Amino acid sequence: MTNLKLGRRIVLRGLGGAVLTLPFLESVGRPPAAHADSETSYAVFFRQANGVAAAQSTELGSEPERFWPRDVGALTTDSLRDRSLDELTDYRSQLLVLGNVNGQNFDYGDGHARGALQCLTARGPTVTGAGGDSEAGGESLDHRLGRELNADGRDSWFMYAGRNSGWLGGPCISYRGAGDRRSPIHDPREGYMTLVGGDAGLSAEAQRQLAERGRSVNDLVRSQLARLMSTPQLSRADRDRIDLHQSAIRDIEVRLACQLPDDRVAELEGLGMAYDSTDGDEVLAAARLHMDVAALAIACGVTRSVAIQVGSGNDGSTRYRNLATGGQLENYHYLSHRRLSHDSSGAIISDADQLHAMVDRQFAATFRHLLDRLGEYAMPSGGTLLDCGVSCWLNDLGNGPAHSRQNLPWIIAGSAGGVLRQGEYLQVSGGDRSAVNIAQLLNTLATAVGVPMTNFGDSSLPGGTLDEMFV
Amino acid sequence: MRVFLPSLALLLVACQGFVGDTPVRPGDRNDLPEGVVLPAPQTRLARLTHSQWERTTQDLFGLDEPTGLGTSFRADSLPGDAVFDNPGAALDVDEVLWNGYQRAAGALAERATSDAAILARVAPDTGGAVEDQAERFVRDFGARAHRRPLTDDEVGEYLHVYATAAGLFGPLDAHTAGVRLVLEAMLQSPWFLYRVETSRDPDGRIIPLDGWEVASRLSYALWGSMPDEELFAAAAAGMLTTPDGVVTQARRMLDDPRAEATVVDFHRQLFDVRKFEGIVPSPDVFGDVSPRLAEFATREHDLFVTEMVFNRDGGYRDLLTSSDTFVNDELARIYELDGTYSTETFEPVSLDPAQRRGIFTQVGFLAANATTRSPDPIHRGVYLAERIACVHIDAPPEDTPPPGVMAGLTNRQTIELHTEQPGSICAGCHAQIINPFGFPFESYDAIGMWQTTDNGQPIDTSGSPPVDGVPTPVADAVQLADALADSEWVHECYVRHWIEFTLGRHAAAEDQALVADLGERSRAGELSIKELIVSLVTSRAFLTRSIEEL
Repeated sequence: MTNLKLGRRIVLRGLGGAVLTLPFLESVGRPPAAHADSETSYAVFFRQANGVAAAQSTELGSEPERFWPRDVGALTTDSLRDRSLDELTDYRSQLLVLGNVNGQNFDYGDGHARGALQCLTARGPTVTGAGGDSEAGGESLDHRLGRELNADGRDSWFMYAGRNSGWLGGPCISYRGAGDRRSPIHDPREGYMTLVGGDAGLSAEAQRQLAERGRSVNDLVRSQLARLMSTPQLSRADRDRIDLHQSAIRDIEVRLACQLPDDRVAELEGLGMAYDSTDGDEVLAAARLHMDVAALAIACGVTRSVAIQVGSGNDGSTRYRNLATGGQLENYHYLSHRRLSHDSSGAIISDADQLHAMVDRQFAATFRHLLDRLGEYAMPSGGTLLDCGVSCWLNDLGNGPAHSRQNLPWIIAGSAGGVLRQGEYLQVSGGDRSAVNIAQLLNTLATAVGVPMTNFGDSSLPGGTLDEMFV
Repeated sequence: MRVFLPSLALLLVACQGFVGDTPVRPGDRNDLPEGVVLPAPQTRLARLTHSQWERTTQDLFGLDEPTGLGTSFRADSLPGDAVFDNPGAALDVDEVLWNGYQRAAGALAERATSDAAILARVAPDTGGAVEDQAERFVRDFGARAHRRPLTDDEVGEYLHVYATAAGLFGPLDAHTAGVRLVLEAMLQSPWFLYRVETSRDPDGRIIPLDGWEVASRLSYALWGSMPDEELFAAAAAGMLTTPDGVVTQARRMLDDPRAEATVVDFHRQLFDVRKFEGIVPSPDVFGDVSPRLAEFATREHDLFVTEMVFNRDGGYRDLLTSSDTFVNDELARIYELDGTYSTETFEPVSLDPAQRRGIFTQVGFLAANATTRSPDPIHRGVYLAERIACVHIDAPPEDTPPPGVMAGLTNRQTIELHTEQPGSICAGCHAQIINPFGFPFESYDAIGMWQTTDNGQPIDTSGSPPVDGVPTPVADAVQLADALADSEWVHECYVRHWIEFTLGRHAAAEDQALVADLGERSRAGELSIKELIVSLVTSRAFLTRSIEEL
């Protein structure tokens, strides 16, 4: 396990303000620990765009299966071999691979909007048929879980790698409410600085002074915001924004306890502007650094819900690595369409399904990085932080050319403390492709991490949970 | 919402298009008396954009360059329909951004109190009792940070912060420590981070803004930064409550280099220059293209806009139709110019007016709206229709069947086969709007180079795009540029974008009379872009608030 340099105490705060104090992890070289009970559960959502290289028929002919396991049931080396998922073979006993997750055919006017804006909201659009201008019609699950699970009303974390522009405006999967899209942490360093709150190398006296100064300023700003809030002519929307601002103001001393080891801090510092890149290697490097920071934030109890989005609504500018040649592929959206255009009018890209599978494989390896990181945090009662929650790698489309809302890939790692089944490839809803079960899946995940829920998302969708996912 | 134009209904009946930002359907009407301009509702708390934060802190502390601290702020996620980065009602402060503000405030306050020259500007040693100096600093610097005079209560609160700082910055003396902590506080104050408008006394159907609020609207619209001393003085003297006073200040401010940066920024966003960064032609087809083409195209754009708006005092028509531009060696090669050019120095040139006319025949637009190998008439057409003519086009149907494999066709023929099949759902928008706007540009390849054949066949650049809602035959992009420059809708659309940019909200029904007036004067050549801006910022829409809240 990686040696993490931690402060003397890490405090994990659970529901109802329960405080779990971790014992004296004071020296470099000792792995951090967390508490293995329901109050440490969490959820991470890692989103890929454009579907996967699944078996399908396109206008260019039939494409073989390159993603899904060979057989439903136990995940084995054989069932994963030569599929993109074989990057996760070492974790197969901790995976639940879901088949037959189906979204609703909401009228977003665009397949990518329908997938990306629905995947964590299970909602239709605020305005029908708006295509690239679409906004989701409700809160996303990552945000809801943050509201429910995080201490002190702290927001969930929303992180983004790739160009901060493009289809659907770029970052687009996390919502506070209808039409209220969240801004992401784009630079992983920003997430890390938010986590640590300052220089952890400060002396105790310097930390006291820093805290005193922060309190003095915060008190003043809070009073100014309160006076603005009392302005009678302020609109509801303006009040909501002041309210968000007020809730963002926090004292910082607790966060000084958590920090990454020097080599990972050096990686963060070395990233530069690569988080805002079209180079797939740089984009996925930024995603991995987001994961480093997110895992630490979870271990430190700063957040228990994280969404990490890679690429815009259609990831239409990122060029991932060609694993055969080492060069760059055409932009991912083109590959997913199998043609050199953002629609279906461009020239045909030869062997595009194989190239698409290369992208899938790189996302699988990136997801594995998250699992590696979560697995570094040992629990006092055995196991690791990975086991305590759910980490989901999801794709908001089933495939590229058809923008399918059916058979959406959801790969779940971690059992949420023994709640979810593992080591299986499971067809939910009995494999019935007509079953619209995205809301049920989100209910199930919320319930698994300690937020019982049966009616998340659009009220017209079937509610309840997918009980076949539970142990 | 603009007044409905009947011809549009006939044209777009199958396409579900509309003009402006709100769907306009038959029967919709602006219920205002003709010619009346009223302010549309908008937020009272417009948070500074990150670039505004940079410019404001630079001006506030009198720095030679921006601090760069704002570049690390978490990115803002903008509504999908936002053209510009400053939609006032959408910019918020969450925990991550708050942390960024905290750190930036700390770093800036430390720098200011560690640098004698900056400290002397921020909190000059005026002699006398230190308490008096502290109060003067709070009142003077606070008025600039808040962009209005502080109340006595506010002064008292800041002096309390000042007093608590002693001993909280290690060995720093008490006065300097006090100044530093107050600077941190002011940089985190909502009065600094937002442009707050509290005026609330109605005058009929409007709420006049006070002079300080007008000063901030002007400075952020024209400079993207805080007011300067002269603008503050004008506000203090009550000169910004009269149109003449505002005109005087607006013209002065437009002559300031900061206005050039703002006007270029407006056009960068309007013309989607950020998309230029995605120009990556296929090396198989364009092996000799510089990897810096996107950078060169951006530079050309900026120089062109600056030349037209500021050096020639031109109008929107000039942006749409001028054949003059700036090139380096790579752009000269693409434009097929004779002569010798360097890579780093851009020179003014006149392109062949039979081939190049206006900004949409320049490399940036053409290459950014192309695939890696071919022109992309669909995206070129959608952009012109939606962004330049303000004709909204509904999203395409999902899961459109691909055209299949067809050899020997031109790019245009392939697109036509795919999108213009009679009776198909695609044909409604493509045959009437999108393709006619896009096909005239087929004579420019994926890097914007002139071409006359495609796949061995002559290129057809003709079309009848719906200019002002009427199919208007054009032979090529040059004729289309002229048609756009003569279009009522195109000029009105440009005014709408300026409203969105300067006021941080979409143009609304209340703006229609202003849009029509400025649009027509722009179309008629009566308004340069600079004078269009002056007219806008002296309008009632700009100088007052709505009695309704957003």
